Amino acid sequence: MSVTEQVGTRLRAPRHQVSRKAIPYWTVRALPGWVVLAGAQIVFAVVPRGPFGAQPSWLWVTLAVTVLLAVAHLLVMPRWRYRVHRWEVTPTAVYTQSGWFDQEWRVAPISRIQTVDTERGPFEQLFGLSRVTVTTASAAGPLHIHGLDEQTARDLVEELAATTQASKGDAT
Amino acid sequence: MSELASEQSSTVPELTQRPVDFTPAPPPPEEIPWHRLNPLMLVIHPAKELIRIVPVLVGLVLLNRSGNWQQWIGLGVVGLLLVRGVLHWITARYRITEEQVELKHGLLIRKSRAVPRDRIRTVDITAEWQHRLVGLCKVKVGTGRHDSGKGDELVLDAVTKTEAERLRTLLLHRPSAPSPEQATVDSPQETVLAAVDRRWTRFAPFTLSGVAIVGALGGTIFHFAHELHLDGGALGPLRQVLDQVLTGPVWLTVLIAVAALLVVVTIASVLGYVLSYWNFQVTREPSGTLHIRHGLINTRSVSIEEKRLRGVEVKETLPLRLVQGGRCSAVVSGLRTGRGDERGGALLLPAAPLERAHEVAAKALHEAEDPTTAPLRGHPRAARMRRVNRAVMSAVGITVLAWLASLVNFAPDWLWKAALVLIPLSVLIGLDRFRSLGHTLAGEYLVTRSGSLVRETVALRRDGVIGWRLHASFFQRRAGLMTVVATTAAGKGAYHVTDVSAAEAVALADETMPELLTQFLE
Repeated sequence: MSVTEQVGTRLRAPRHQVSRKAIPYWTVRALPGWVVLAGAQIVFAVVPRGPFGAQPSWLWVTLAVTVLLAVAHLLVMPRWRYRVHRWEVTPTAVYTQSGWFDQEWRVAPISRIQTVDTERGPFEQLFGLSRVTVTTASAAGPLHIHGLDEQTARDLVEELAATTQASKGDAT
Repeated sequence: MSELASEQSSTVPELTQRPVDFTPAPPPPEEIPWHRLNPLMLVIHPAKELIRIVPVLVGLVLLNRSGNWQQWIGLGVVGLLLVRGVLHWITARYRITEEQVELKHGLLIRKSRAVPRDRIRTVDITAEWQHRLVGLCKVKVGTGRHDSGKGDELVLDAVTKTEAERLRTLLLHRPSAPSPEQATVDSPQETVLAAVDRRWTRFAPFTLSGVAIVGALGGTIFHFAHELHLDGGALGPLRQVLDQVLTGPVWLTVLIAVAALLVVVTIASVLGYVLSYWNFQVTREPSGTLHIRHGLINTRSVSIEEKRLRGVEVKETLPLRLVQGGRCSAVVSGLRTGRGDERGGALLLPAAPLERAHEVAAKALHEAEDPTTAPLRGHPRAARMRRVNRAVMSAVGITVLAWLASLVNFAPDWLWKAALVLIPLSVLIGLDRFRSLGHTLAGEYLVTRSGSLVRETVALRRDGVIGWRLHASFFQRRAGLMTVVATTAAGKGAYHVTDVSAAEAVALADETMPELLTQFLE
């Protein structure tokens, strides 16, 4: 049985996109890291005689590079991510697509689902978003759907509850 | 299925909540008596703790040195541990009812745990040498949950050997145990799947275990020396030998060092093999359990419900491949391939002739042929570039780090020059890693192989796969490749088919579990 000779061997994208509010959410979430990195360099560059003596001349170069990278990352990453992140639930499976630079597709059969969690971090609450995590009996197989708006997340959890209740077995 | 167990299996409807630990059951019938752990634990436990503080005691008493405050804290901790051990024995009670195994203990915080009997998947009996001196052993009852750390185990430390054997038969041989408290001790007819031949000790030096043992031993010696304030330089004769070796020419020093290390590692690995596997035996019991026993001084007996067997894994280290040796492990849900003593749990055969490893794998799976011997399909050429690139990159990385370290005088100058040797070697490793890559569907099994220094071939039952991850990094997408990850509740939890063409990746996942992916294809 040759695996390669099959037709239709391309994964299509899952049907639903995440909320548009995910773009500002991802931007804001990525911001603190860059602020700390650039901030530390600014402090070093500005403080005339810090605890480490005179500031090296190349500090302005690294600072410029940091700012450039930060702007590029903050502009590109959220939009790219928004185009990639998608999800779908069918009567038999949950299917997600995520990532941006590195991308990943995850599929879990409904019959193997063990728990469905919703989580809302501080930034997510700011934008009215939720993150849904679907776990199976494998420690390596949770499906995460980031950036869902709260109503969609609630509906999704209810839908999963209804479908999983219909299936039997201990899911291992 | 009992009432409680069916409750446990339906954690799904209680959404937005992780599965909770096994909750104490409704009050069981009163007539089943509680048992205590064996009173000899009052001797074993202190003995075990006292051995830990031997170096401190020797320092304090024999050498008449005043201890520093760390040592006093150490003694205090040991004292607390002693008290805890005694309290555990005084308060611990266990019993086996029709439905479950119960253990309660604790003085200030009273804990009780109940494991439903039809959820028990593994029984693990270990006896360290202290236990064996007085004929006791420790029983661990596992339920086969994969992702919950140690939380789902029930440990009885310790009971007599006969009691342990009674518990084992009772808990795993459900049909043949009409009344829980009256099960007989005699074990049913077993068939031997594999036993270690003592001549196989010759494979021991080719495993990488010797290195680990020497590392651990070095750590212990260093610890003792530190506690006793011994200075390595104070050991006169050793110092002289070292001086002579170090003043000789460099190549001679290196040669002697390598030879000495090889000898020590060989001795250590042979000793380790003898201690762990001299009397290794895997048997099958008619009730559907695999029973693995081994250990010369510290003994271990693991019983695995066969229903939980999801596949096998054959591991060959690079040196073992040179002498056609291999190890075989079972992929079992509920037994983690973790670190330390958890690790050996699913071992079906330690380093042995490769065909023996395949033989025990086939027998354990009830197959005529070990699926890991099935001919594998290779991966695309683009995968070779990636393997070589990655191997070379890490070698270059190490060299650059060594060079940077020498710039700031943190490392000697010759270190990065020596590290340069790694680069051509890494090309070879990369090529070999590519050669190892392969996968196929062999009957009911998904087979995948990878690795060079440790080559692993896994055969995973198709019905043991509980989900898929298809991963493509930016560079993989450019090369038209993908990594397929089959997730499972057993073993490592995830098994990778690295760098296959995107079409092949999807087709493989689709064919392994028909109907699941088909709806998402175009």
